[in-house]
Amino acid sequence: MSSPVKIWRQHKKLHNYLNKVGRLVVWTKIYVAPAGFEHQVPYLAGIVQFNGERLPLQIVDCEEKDLKPNLKVVTVIRKIGKAKSEDVIEYGVKVKPVQGGSRV
Amino acid sequence: MRIKVAGIGLTKFGELWDKTLFDLAEEASLEAIQDSSLKPPDIQAVFVANMIFSKVSNQDHLGATIASQLNIQGAAFRIEGACASGGLAIHLAIQSILAGTYQNVLVVGAEKMTDASISEVTSALMGAGSEAERQAGLTFPGLYALMAQAHMQQFGTTREHMAQVAVKNHYHASLNKKAQYPYEVTLEKALNSPCICSPFTLFDASPITDGAAAVVLTSASTNKGVYITGSAVATDTVDLSSRKSLTEIEATRIASQKALTQAGVKISDIKVAEVHDCFTIAEILAMEDLGFCEKGEGGKYIEKGITKLGGKIPVNTSGGLKACGHPVGATGVKQIVEIAQQLRKKAGLRQVEGANIGLTQNVGGTGATVVVHVLQS
Repeated sequence: MSSPVKIWRQHKKLHNYLNKVGRLVVWTKIYVAPAGFEHQVPYLAGIVQFNGERLPLQIVDCEEKDLKPNLKVVTVIRKIGKAKSEDVIEYGVKVKPVQGGSRV
Repeated sequence: MRIKVAGIGLTKFGELWDKTLFDLAEEASLEAIQDSSLKPPDIQAVFVANMIFSKVSNQDHLGATIASQLNIQGAAFRIEGACASGGLAIHLAIQSILAGTYQNVLVVGAEKMTDASISEVTSALMGAGSEAERQAGLTFPGLYALMAQAHMQQFGTTREHMAQVAVKNHYHASLNKKAQYPYEVTLEKALNSPCICSPFTLFDASPITDGAAAVVLTSASTNKGVYITGSAVATDTVDLSSRKSLTEIEATRIASQKALTQAGVKISDIKVAEVHDCFTIAEILAMEDLGFCEKGEGGKYIEKGITKLGGKIPVNTSGGLKACGHPVGATGVKQIVEIAQQLRKKAGLRQVEGANIGLTQNVGGTGATVVVHVLQS
């Protein structure tokens, strides 16, 4: 996972990404995760179109069957990966459907 | 441009528990040097292609480590460009000959991937992605799955189209003793294997592989043998979502047009090709972006059997990354070895008849680096 100083730099910019609405372009459900994400499998990640930019983001609070191209999604702040007991907990941006189901 | 492929060497690809990275690099290198009829002291420079070894071991300084192991005291470099490291090393070695600095050079691509755990390897490979992609928990299978989904949405490409790539490349690998998986698979098996990331099953992905490949390149100019006549690199954003299109690897188009122009040939002149099928969708994209078929038609093009051995343009006769294996730093060099064997008419059971012009396409990341070479005999 990321170093404390890297997390400190990134966290300062997080507020810029709050409550942005975008549209889902493509997504995938990942069963084989990189280190730090193993506990989340399977999980959803995709590419979201915002005003003027596209970003790769994890998709939360829904199931794969709820997803379709152009689905309206909104950014939320969530924990990224899993910090070890003495690591700094890393937060970052994910998206959830605007009229999503129950929290996963 | 005429650079002679004077010698080639290739190890078995697979899970080689008893071999180190250095065993593999040495085996392929000595085979290539012997094949060239040169001696190690005749080699003035060594270009080592490797991607993840420094992440999964404690050994850096691979240029000097491998050169000294071969008793070569000339210049030595380690080149990294994700899964295009091998192609990039070939390109740089060619430039060093064209500049007149060296006359005889060795390019060796090697990777030792099976010592690390799957999640360690997955993380090491994601070093070739963007920070945002890593934060999203994306993996390379995941990123190519996104490209596959975009292609399915836009052009109606199906899971069957993609699985056909795996079936074809396994058939080719069944004729290649060096391949990691030298056996055939059925379409049903490919389609019904476990999902690794939707829409991909296990058989849409290339494996984790140990292996090495080497070539000796020289400035010698006679009419005999195999020559590299075109070599070009193009780049794009490392982050997939920032590209103009999710259904095209533009760097493939740019690099292939440059390489073909250098060689003075057209894509329709190519008789055999090795392309970067790290995932089945990648071979479909390569067919389109290299210009073998129209954009969006790649799936149907492969389904027709045109790119299978016996078809008009056999693609990935080695078995490709899918079935021959994908030791990431070695792949771009292995592609040159396979095409050189084809043009020397030494490819045995997988020989393409009348092969006199071949092409290789080596991709780093999701298309941020693409290296294309044209070879002629």
